[in-house]
Amino acid sequence: MSKIIATRAIRGAHTLVARAGQELQRALEDKGPGARVEFPNTGYYLPISYGMLGLKVETLGGLQELLEEARRLLPPVPGDALWLPYLGHTMDAGMAALFADEIIEAIKYTRDPVPYLPETRPRDGRLWLGAANDVIMRERGIEFVDGTAPGFAACVGRCPTNEIAVRIARELQEKNLYVFMSAATDGQSMAGQLAEEGIEMGWETRLVPFGDDVTATIHALGFSTRVALSFGGAQPGDFERVLRYNKNRVFAFVLAFGPVDDEKHAQAAGAINFGFPTIADTDIDSILPSGICTYEHVVSPVPHDKIVSKAIEVRGLKIAVTKVPVPVPFGPAFQGERVRKDEMFVELAGTSQPGFEFLTTRPLEEVEDGRIEVIGPEIDDVPEGAQLPLGVWVEVAGRQMQPDFEPILERHIHDLVNMAHGVFHMGQRDVNWVRISKEAREKGFKFRHLGSIIHAKYHGEFGKIFDKVQIRIFTREEDVLGLIDRAREIYRHRDERIGSLTDEAVDTFYSCTLCQSFAPNHVCVITPERSGLCGAYNWLDGKAANQINPVGPNQPIRKGQPLDPVRGQWQGVNEFVHVNSHKTLETFNAYSMIESPMTSCGCFECISCVLPSVNGIMIVHRNYPGMTPSGMKFSTLAGTVGGGVQTPGFIGHSKLYIGSRKFISADGGARRIVWMNKELKEELAPVLQRIGEAEGLRDFPGMIADETVATTEEEVLAHSTSMGHPALSMPLLF
Amino acid sequence: MATIAISGKGGAGKSTLAALAIRWLSENKRRPILAVDADSNVNLNDLLGVSVKETIGNVREEMMAKVSDLPGGMTKQQFLEYKIQASLVETKAFDLLAMGRPEGPGCYCYANNLLRDVLDTLAANYAYVVIDNEAGMEHLSRRTRQAIDSLLMVSDPSTRGIATAGRISRLVAELDTRVTRKFLVLNRAADPPSPVLQNAIGSEGLELLATIPEDGTLLEMDRQGTPIWSIPASTPALQAVGRLMTRLDLV
Repeated sequence: MSKIIATRAIRGAHTLVARAGQELQRALEDKGPGARVEFPNTGYYLPISYGMLGLKVETLGGLQELLEEARRLLPPVPGDALWLPYLGHTMDAGMAALFADEIIEAIKYTRDPVPYLPETRPRDGRLWLGAANDVIMRERGIEFVDGTAPGFAACVGRCPTNEIAVRIARELQEKNLYVFMSAATDGQSMAGQLAEEGIEMGWETRLVPFGDDVTATIHALGFSTRVALSFGGAQPGDFERVLRYNKNRVFAFVLAFGPVDDEKHAQAAGAINFGFPTIADTDIDSILPSGICTYEHVVSPVPHDKIVSKAIEVRGLKIAVTKVPVPVPFGPAFQGERVRKDEMFVELAGTSQPGFEFLTTRPLEEVEDGRIEVIGPEIDDVPEGAQLPLGVWVEVAGRQMQPDFEPILERHIHDLVNMAHGVFHMGQRDVNWVRISKEAREKGFKFRHLGSIIHAKYHGEFGKIFDKVQIRIFTREEDVLGLIDRAREIYRHRDERIGSLTDEAVDTFYSCTLCQSFAPNHVCVITPERSGLCGAYNWLDGKAANQINPVGPNQPIRKGQPLDPVRGQWQGVNEFVHVNSHKTLETFNAYSMIESPMTSCGCFECISCVLPSVNGIMIVHRNYPGMTPSGMKFSTLAGTVGGGVQTPGFIGHSKLYIGSRKFISADGGARRIVWMNKELKEELAPVLQRIGEAEGLRDFPGMIADETVATTEEEVLAHSTSMGHPALSMPLLF
Repeated sequence: MATIAISGKGGAGKSTLAALAIRWLSENKRRPILAVDADSNVNLNDLLGVSVKETIGNVREEMMAKVSDLPGGMTKQQFLEYKIQASLVETKAFDLLAMGRPEGPGCYCYANNLLRDVLDTLAANYAYVVIDNEAGMEHLSRRTRQAIDSLLMVSDPSTRGIATAGRISRLVAELDTRVTRKFLVLNRAADPPSPVLQNAIGSEGLELLATIPEDGTLLEMDRQGTPIWSIPASTPALQAVGRLMTRLDLV
């Protein structure tokens, strides 16, 4: 434990708290204590003070209380005579600094114009995005839950050169980490360096520029605090749980570039409270012994080519990086780039040439793993601007392989191939389209590398369900046309099969406890007619995932003895839920939202809730920020429903489930729907129309109110009455 | 990325200004450029000398007509993404996206929401986006979340034309579209404009960015139906647009 570090952090905290006091004083004189203070579109107030203290700061006056708390926490700056102890004091100082940060950042949002963009990415030379709204937090939080993104790197300061900044950003991106950037050094920040190099930033690319002020670092910690509140079931004010959750679940660390001043030391001390270590490129001394963080707290100096791997090691992060053997950068961040015609070297399939992608199972002895053949011209055999047919024929073999997995594996070709920089992929099956850029070709990218990507990523992600995979790439028209009909026959067969699966037809459901890392008592039960509430998983996906990883989050649930066929209750499911909810849930009904409904983690696409006076239910989906007739917005409802608790009258679910025969069938089914937000209603209009027609209703979508006709329960009742909505004449819900 | 939107009432010279701006950007190596023809009545593609096979309007209608059975077992999002990516007209100098026919009756919220996502992702691939807009700005705000750096309101040199520009300017302020800067451009006008026009500009609260002179070469180009690339570099209107673009200082 270094006295130097502790002293600097404590001194930095003093500076920040003093600055917060001055800025608050000025703002109070300017606007008065009643002026509103808020981060945009969030149900979590100012997240650090809400999470740590349970404070609901809504006005400038409310910041005063936070400031006093910060002052109380501030330890004295260690004098020459004082030697021990430091860590506790340093962490208190860190927390005081975070409170001061939050005060300063909140005041920025009262300014006109606000110095932050409301969008998800920079524009017009303006970089800084500030606090993320709840829509972003939920969308991105899910990536933390499902492992798409393992965590984030909070980068402060500037790298010695732009080139190093770009290299480190790319390295973090390739490891799927979010890069949160703040705190300029000498007027320049890492985000500024990336901007100078023309690197695209924003939440979409995971390179997020928060702000150039050192206090903007708070938006990284605010984000992870909200993740703990939203997905971890931590109560506001339960600081211990919020911090422990972050230490155990959110794999984040601080990278400090360039000289680290007192204020930045204070940020690092604040981050240690969350279990997030700091790795610096300059020599700022170290805090090596473990205690709060899993391993070391502060490590320095670390050379730039080692800093990312060092950070990952120190944070104890496990990243399964399957190094894909292609000569171009590779990672999810490169999805969504178009290879424009002037950048393009060659185009495959698409609108002018035939093409398909097809995956099938073969006996083990017929597949040679890793064999990739290009039948027809390779990239070097064709001139620039060429257009060629493309057939991708994938054969897998494995003891665990089943025909059900074929479409799942096949569909992944799209997102896997798109991860290669300079390769553009659209569509699937017999509507596919690939472009390869000149730059990629110059770096040595060949058609066979499409096969290398499939081979490497399949083994990395689905290695449990198959043993071997070989790929043939056809680029001659006669071959492609010869195979396309065989593929189409199978596509048709698959579609028929998926449409006919019912809950009754199977004896096993699948659990999904992927989100238990975030909502420890929540169990999703996925049936053929009820997809996972995040919308991402259906029963076949669950089945496939279980084969991939038999001890993973998707377990088979034997239905067992039926206890209540109407509500959808089975002995085997009850027992499974009881054990896996850590004995918090006794019974579980698959088809009811009133009695023992399924719980939610926080990842649901939609929330349904009862509107008692209309004898029906309303459904709102995640992207709708407005008020609903329940008197709550999505974010407030999400707080009620999430966290693995059974809340009668409320469920979280997928969009797909609304169209299922089993949608709250014990409570009367989709006929109960009296209100939906308009966008959701329009999206599902054909489904609703079909449901209505089966019931003899001519215009069911028209009977369902939306925000253009009703935003209160009374207005919904009036609309339902005037339209003769069937819910009004159904048995009472309660 | 810099986004320039051009608006004004029919016949004011919007598409001509858009085409001139695209030529200037292209010849001054301000690339890549995405040209967006968002006026269903006009012909930015003719001025740019390319033909359009598919418009966003057609793609949208096709998607809305299909409930399920989309080709290739695709979701609507995938389908729309594929079709829009495929509808782009690509040339060495620029790419062109044609918005096509306006919406019919019925609700387009869902379709437009999908469109916004796809268009925003696509636009992010370009350094410059030039939008030839219809007179009002409603459709723009419905189809993209893209912020607009510079809105150029084109008018003929008449008090009535300037009043229309003033109306557009006020309308934009009410819409949910983010516009950083708004300028008036007087087409077929003398420089400086007459005191009467200057008064009108002042009383509408507009800022005049540039005037484009009456130009026989452009008239001849229109008469013959040849593209913008056919006029000589010395054409006064092209020179005026060059000065205008420099003044916008987009780099």
